[in-house]
Amino acid sequence: MSYPPSIPRKFWGVDFNSPVMLASGTAGFGEELLDLQCLSGVGAVVSKAVTFKSREGNPPPRLLETPYGLLNSIGLANPGVHHVLEHILPVAADLPCPLLINVAGESVEEFASVVSVLEESRVHLGYEINVSCPNVADGGAAFGVDPEVVLRVAQGVSRVTSRPFSVKLTPNGGDMVQSARAAVEGGASAVTVCNTFLGMQIDWETGRSILKRKVAGYTSPALLPLVVARVWQVSNAVSVPVISSGGVSKGEDVLQLLAAGARMVQVGTRLMRRPFAAGELMAEMKKLTGE
Amino acid sequence: MSVIRDYDCLVKHSEQVLPGVIRIVFECMEMVSNALPGQFVQIEPSTGTFPVTRRPITINRLTDDGFELLFDVVGRGTELMGEMRTGETVRILGPLGRGWMVHPDSTWLLVGGGLGAAGFQFLIDTVGSAKVLIGASSSRRVIPLESLSCTVATEDGSTGETGLVTALISRDLLEEADSIAVCGPVAMMEAVWNTIPSMYRDKVQVSTESRMGCGWGVCDGCSIPVSSGGYKKCCKDGPVFPGSDIDWKRWKEAGL
Repeated sequence: MSYPPSIPRKFWGVDFNSPVMLASGTAGFGEELLDLQCLSGVGAVVSKAVTFKSREGNPPPRLLETPYGLLNSIGLANPGVHHVLEHILPVAADLPCPLLINVAGESVEEFASVVSVLEESRVHLGYEINVSCPNVADGGAAFGVDPEVVLRVAQGVSRVTSRPFSVKLTPNGGDMVQSARAAVEGGASAVTVCNTFLGMQIDWETGRSILKRKVAGYTSPALLPLVVARVWQVSNAVSVPVISSGGVSKGEDVLQLLAAGARMVQVGTRLMRRPFAAGELMAEMKKLTGE
Repeated sequence: MSVIRDYDCLVKHSEQVLPGVIRIVFECMEMVSNALPGQFVQIEPSTGTFPVTRRPITINRLTDDGFELLFDVVGRGTELMGEMRTGETVRILGPLGRGWMVHPDSTWLLVGGGLGAAGFQFLIDTVGSAKVLIGASSSRRVIPLESLSCTVATEDGSTGETGLVTALISRDLLEEADSIAVCGPVAMMEAVWNTIPSMYRDKVQVSTESRMGCGWGVCDGCSIPVSSGGYKKCCKDGPVFPGSDIDWKRWKEAGL
């Protein structure tokens, strides 16, 4: 790699126009983005997580803003894979950029089951496998903390699809480098580094957590150095491309993550402030690099 | 369907209308031609990195060349908004959500609790006239409304009747209204809902609020429990819902 990094436009051999991907859970399935016409500068959309059965999600409140970030406890709310296949993907077909479908499950087998159903559609380019969710079928720890489990999840997905997929790793426990190697061994075409960090806010007067599920996923621009470090560690350890996720609010943040070894960079929480963030980040990057 | 865009809006005027309650008038012609009563906008409270989300505020009324917001200063975001001064430019996304379902020639009864009455002015201006009932803790929480018919109740008796807004609701008012709009804190709205006999409940629409992420339907953060089970999105399915859609018990449990 040479420095400063050039702005990548291809990924998995496909023209992505931009290295900026919209992170799972912050862009729906892309259909609202069409209404808002905010797809300029978007390299790809990663859908919200899809599970086999529909999930109504966690009881509200689901969001809590802190002075320097955002706690979310959405609970993988989604209408289930069959509804997504029949009713949402046909609309998402109008997206001018590639779509990756984020897949979650409660057991090792569920990931492959969801992917199998989605294989009927030609709308999406590939998948992002969310191994940060709890392995309900086996104790409730996140799949991603155990490289052996990550390997089995990735192998299961590889068996049912020939499309590329990325495994989205968790920063909450386990050795991310080992989990990344396991994902690659299982056939992953990329790894996403990383998911939200566990966070919590407690009302000190009552001792209660504000959010009903107690701990939640924390995102913040202040997490950038944590993501840079993990991207650097993982990209030096695996042969597949690394997709970064987390900490981005400026064009220079994207360039820093590219310099750390990321090939694509996801932006998420920033979209809550700026739905047009992808276009803004691209413009800032072009200005900084002179491209 | 409104066209949603992200506008740079000029602050034309800002003032404190009640203790801790700010009115800001923004210039934005596009909002005048697009916004409907009951819709809201997402304000960027700062040009810096924090806070990381915007602040959703209901449009209080339209002006000749823009719109007006009326809001409580409750935290850092609204505090920053309170510091916005004439001549500044603010990034505002809107208009968002589904507003009041307005039927032609409808007779309206509006029931507001405290700052929940913000937004009624736009509805009154649109439907021509309405009977308005306002409840608040004290006169310091009664927002100014231009309406031919407005009855106020305060808990401390500092203005209007002494007591709760529910005491102002009469069978005659419910009978003559074709549409009933309710907006205020959850406990107040539930009390109003329970006060209204079931034969009149089909007329009731309620304007909800929730902690919000995006404001345009993608993040699933602003869920409102609904009576059919599960949740709807405050930002896109609402903020206005038929009263019968709301699962009041679960919504109160959310403690929003």
